[in-house]
Amino acid sequence: MQVAAARNGRAVQGTAPGEPVLRRHRPDYLILLFMGLLMLIGLITMYAIGPQRANVLNNAYGSNYSETYFVIKQAVSLALAGMAFAAFAIVPYRFIQRYAAKVLLAGIIACTLLFLAGNVLDIRAIVPETLGAHRWFFLGPLGSFQPAELLKFGILLFAAGFLGMRARQGVINDKELTLKPMAALMAVAALFIIVFQKDMGTGISLTAIVMTMIIAAHMKWEIIFKIMLGLVALGVVFILIAPHRMERVSTFLSGDAISSDQASGDAYHIKQARIAIGTGGPFGLGIGNSVQATGYLPEAINDSVFAILGETFGFVGLVAIMGLFSALLFRLLRTIDGLQDMRMRLVVAGVFGWMAAHVVMNIAAMTGLVPLTGITLPLLSYGGTSMLFIAAGLGLAFQLSRYTSHLVNHKEGKNEDSRSRRGVGRPRYASRRSYS
Amino acid sequence: MKYTGFSDDRVKLFSIALIILMGLFVLRLFYLQVIMHDEYTQLARAEQQRRLVIPAERGEIYALTHNQPVKLVLNQAVYTIFADPQVVEDKDKVIDVISRVAGGEMVDKAREVLKNASDESRYVILAKGVTRKQAELIKKETLAGVGAQTETRRVYPEGGLASQTLGFVNAEGMGQYGIEQSLNDRLTGKDGLLQAVTDVSNVPLSIGKDNINIEPQDGEDIVLSIDRNIQSYVEDTLKKGLEKAGAKTGSAVVMNPRTGQVMAMANYPTYNPAEFFKVTDVQAFTNGVVSSPYEPASVLKTLLFATAIDQGAVNRMTPYVNTDSVRVDDAVINNALKGMTGTRTMQEAYNWSLNTGSVYAAQQLGGGRINDKARKIMYEYYHDRFGLGETTGVEVFGEQSGYVVEPNAASGEGNAVRYSNMTFGQGLDVTMIQVCSAFVSIINGGNYYKPTVLAGTVDNGVYKPDTKPQPERRTISQATSDEMVKMAMEGRKAFYDSKRDRSGYMVGGKTGTSQQIQNGKYVFNETVGTYLGFGGDTEAKYVIMVQVAAPDKKLEGGIHAGPIFTDISNWMIDYLKLQPQG
Repeated sequence: MQVAAARNGRAVQGTAPGEPVLRRHRPDYLILLFMGLLMLIGLITMYAIGPQRANVLNNAYGSNYSETYFVIKQAVSLALAGMAFAAFAIVPYRFIQRYAAKVLLAGIIACTLLFLAGNVLDIRAIVPETLGAHRWFFLGPLGSFQPAELLKFGILLFAAGFLGMRARQGVINDKELTLKPMAALMAVAALFIIVFQKDMGTGISLTAIVMTMIIAAHMKWEIIFKIMLGLVALGVVFILIAPHRMERVSTFLSGDAISSDQASGDAYHIKQARIAIGTGGPFGLGIGNSVQATGYLPEAINDSVFAILGETFGFVGLVAIMGLFSALLFRLLRTIDGLQDMRMRLVVAGVFGWMAAHVVMNIAAMTGLVPLTGITLPLLSYGGTSMLFIAAGLGLAFQLSRYTSHLVNHKEGKNEDSRSRRGVGRPRYASRRSYS
Repeated sequence: MKYTGFSDDRVKLFSIALIILMGLFVLRLFYLQVIMHDEYTQLARAEQQRRLVIPAERGEIYALTHNQPVKLVLNQAVYTIFADPQVVEDKDKVIDVISRVAGGEMVDKAREVLKNASDESRYVILAKGVTRKQAELIKKETLAGVGAQTETRRVYPEGGLASQTLGFVNAEGMGQYGIEQSLNDRLTGKDGLLQAVTDVSNVPLSIGKDNINIEPQDGEDIVLSIDRNIQSYVEDTLKKGLEKAGAKTGSAVVMNPRTGQVMAMANYPTYNPAEFFKVTDVQAFTNGVVSSPYEPASVLKTLLFATAIDQGAVNRMTPYVNTDSVRVDDAVINNALKGMTGTRTMQEAYNWSLNTGSVYAAQQLGGGRINDKARKIMYEYYHDRFGLGETTGVEVFGEQSGYVVEPNAASGEGNAVRYSNMTFGQGLDVTMIQVCSAFVSIINGGNYYKPTVLAGTVDNGVYKPDTKPQPERRTISQATSDEMVKMAMEGRKAFYDSKRDRSGYMVGGKTGTSQQIQNGKYVFNETVGTYLGFGGDTEAKYVIMVQVAAPDKKLEGGIHAGPIFTDISNWMIDYLKLQPQG
């Protein structure tokens, strides 16, 4: 569907019957509200377990973190994330979209530099080695920066524009025009993220973003299933060639043996996560009463924060937190549904896929439903770069939540003009109805 | 359609998938958090909860200087430095720091031990006995994977002083020998208990509902009646005296005749309790004064004459005819000193240590024979009143009772011959502390005090003396005691070394030279010398007993033990600031 009037993002009065009308109105403040609440919960959690975390690190490595180090850093991350959100909510989407390719390029360059500095030149001061791979630039007092996140964000913007364009052109299912270029792009990303940086988590996250977009772009199910099949095959290969992934899967397959005394690695990690969740009980131990955060549970402040939340807030608290995530994700879906321009739809779909994949994969791993992958819980986990980009994505979605398209239905008759008579920018979504 | 959700079917699909997944998670969490809650709580408790023993601090031991407590045994915290080889980053740096700060305490080949640690090893000891200051310096370096464990060690500022009275504390923290062992319970105190949820490195957290915190009760700080200065002087003098006499072993004890408190108790050879592990002969640990019964010989004549006088059988001036030997049943008893024949008094018999005199006195108990009556009276005094052949209850570990044969014992040993030997201190096994305590009662008016090495406790830094000891029983009458004081003083005057006595003071005493039994028979080439006496101003202020011995050597109470007594006695007069009388 081509709606000329929607091009400039303005509602146009007096459209012909049967043509959709794009309306600009107040943005969906619920996105902001839910995001803020989740961030606040994350900050409270860092406040509660930060001292334990500092203590554990100080004891184990002789470092000198203060009790408030982690809550302050999280607050700084949130402030930066808030700025990113604001920037992407204010700077017009078209302007951002114009630079999508450049963001993507920046991501690729950053990943290339990381590879050169880490794997080739081996500059430890800037590119420290973690878990046998180089994933971060260490920027001194500014903290650290993960280029994969930039690459992921670049692909999100670029693929939204590219797939959106192809969908508009009606060639979304075309092998040469759509599938091959996308496959090439993904291959490059996979090379950097999965092969060089050995970061399966970010790889899964990126795959989820793109998969969500092609589904939302109405690619034919037949092709989608084929891609999924290919991904599964590829996934199996990736698992088989990497011993540590193999171990994760076998640990997972060994099942619910919670009393097993396997002391190290993933089995230990999963056991501790479940102890944390299980001890939380229906109502939790309360803020500041987490014991598992005192060194028992690995990655307690980032990847495993969900388990700490379970210990602290209990079943009721976790259901509420999952409710908040669901509500936020539903607002994103609502935004997609209200948009006309496929590129805009795909940007928000990408953000949705991104968040949903993280939330689902993280909770599933923490509750022992899938193997551990090292995926953060968005907005709650400690960590600056991912927080920054997810906030930017949500900012973009927030900006795009200003628009709703309507199909003016003359058969319904009476009130059709009332909509158009309401002025531009009036709050419309509250009384919006859908005709389908 | 009433579904007010989404117009786009793919978006609708997303929403349905999300709802299904979230529903699945809710079910899963309900299972983990509500149904399995108790199981996980137990699992968590097993892992997180620790019971930590808070060690009570062992009590310290004080001696006295006059009436002020002074520390003899105290505790010092020392540290064991260990490392986790899996966490240590720079192994060379760790070793360099420790060798710079505490090189002397480092274990052998620490560098190799740390570097060659296996992949499983998480605990390697690098240094032992490190002081707190050194441990703090090491801690300042913030070396990853290096930790310190604290333990307490006994420290002896006075070195080996009174070591056999003190005993030592072994590696398991148990008192061994001396009062460390006998008063182990009082010194140990009660360990506290901390049951708490801990963090992963076992540091207790304040989180958790069923935490238990029982404070430890530190052991008592005990003050000995041992006077640090007297003990030191007695040890030195004993050692010098033994060297002069050519004796190998010896003991000396000084008691307060008004309380029964031991003021000094020394044995030679001795050992340093700080290095107890270097001792090869455990005999060095035993306190001979309380754990080595022997036949003290003629010093027991004091007890015999006290018995006979108290019974009214004789008095000091009772005459008898000395023929240098006396036949008792089938045995002939001879005097050691020959030639003092003729009519002699009991006092003279005492002065010259005539065995015929003591046998005569004992015979008077039975109306002229050491008959059943005489033996029963002797046994009553020796055993029941003076406490020979029974442990006194002194608080030093390892006290022996010795043995005094009963009259008419089934074995037939308690006969007249045996009892006539007992009149001059042969034929029985008694400890120095028994004899000394008995002697105390003889010269203090007849009051028997249980001998003790304790003077009190220190509570929060304040010395709290025990209540003044009360006499346990009467042994002899005041009149008898007065006579015995005179008898002992007269006896002393007859002793050649009394010329060194300071004039104006009362000093009394008796020698003893005992034959030793080897393989069941008395031998003549080895004797043990003993001297037992007292000194004072207007009344007895100290009682001293000295014993010297050496294998295959004839050591005499007069020549070898006596001078040691004299040295100590003269020094005591100064130390106690006694005033000369008339």
